[in-house]
Amino acid sequence: MSALPAGTSGPAVLVPYWLAATQRSQLATAVRQALSRRPVHPVAVVHLEDVLTELHVAAARDAVWPASAARVRLATGWDPDVLPVRLSAAELASLLDLTELPGSVRDILGGSASS
Amino acid sequence: MIDSRFGGASGLLQRLRPVRIGVDDLRDVADTVLPTLSTAALRLDLVQRPGAGSLVVLEEDERTVRTQLVELADDMTRAGVPPTPEGMAAALATWVAHRPVTDAAAMATGVAVLDWADRSETAIGWRVVVRRGGLALPWTPSRSAGAPTVHRARSSATGRAHDVPLDLRVEGPVALWSHPEVPVLATAALVAPERMLGRITAAGLSMPDMHVVVTPRRPVACAGPSIAARLAGETTEASVTVPWTHLADLPWL
Repeated sequence: MSALPAGTSGPAVLVPYWLAATQRSQLATAVRQALSRRPVHPVAVVHLEDVLTELHVAAARDAVWPASAARVRLATGWDPDVLPVRLSAAELASLLDLTELPGSVRDILGGSASS
Repeated sequence: MIDSRFGGASGLLQRLRPVRIGVDDLRDVADTVLPTLSTAALRLDLVQRPGAGSLVVLEEDERTVRTQLVELADDMTRAGVPPTPEGMAAALATWVAHRPVTDAAAMATGVAVLDWADRSETAIGWRVVVRRGGLALPWTPSRSAGAPTVHRARSSATGRAHDVPLDLRVEGPVALWSHPEVPVLATAALVAPERMLGRITAAGLSMPDMHVVVTPRRPVACAGPSIAARLAGETTEASVTVPWTHLADLPWL
């Protein structure tokens, strides 16, 4: 539900990837390193900056509405620091292009998307 | 659904297989407990009616609540209240704490917060609540309260909302506001969004076009419009997103 002005284009479909605190930190570090160390295509820059934003938004989402992620953690036995980080296809593609991305994070982003 | 009028959720087993609260046991507890909960303004009586069952009568200013003791016992059973004297006493105290808010209490101590305007949770509006310990109870003006009384109570509650201390947590581009003890009070600061913007700016965030994501009784999230949309658009939980400049236009409930 939103009171945002009608007629604005809706956001892209975002898919949740469940990441622990360490993995979110590794993801943020990899993105920051990529943005600072070498030229990145301007479109990819936008997507990668949106990923950094999402890492914060995911934590904020869990602070405001903790119940749904808590139910998933209870059902799966995941640790309390595992949160759904929601990414668009373009953001995901920009991430998977990064050589800095740790293998453990790449594995989660590459093959275990769930809704 | 657990009945919150009798306190927090009890053990899972008690909720699945509640043990019956006996009306005679509850009467014994009420005889002892109700006098201790009475005050100069709040009168609590257990009225014995031969052949018709006992009645709990709660009177405070213009408000009167009459409840059959047997109904109270049944409600406590359904809520999973432990059938011990201590359990029943605690449940009775919580039930009394959930009594209707009087016009005088709303006038003297009411605080303005945002609450759901409808049962389907699609719209929000301002409401006066009164704090009782860890609870915040909504005020519904009595039939005898005229428009000037209602207006004064709402104005006073808005003023008091300015002074509700809230915790601010900055999560990247999102500012989160919460009350450490009474979750419903998290929206009190929204009576003065300029002051919120001041604290957000002091915390190092720039948010000229602040949008506010509100789910009553949950922390309040403030962010720019696109981030607010990303935050609220990816959850199945009900929420309303409002530009800060529109907060003052939300209706009173």
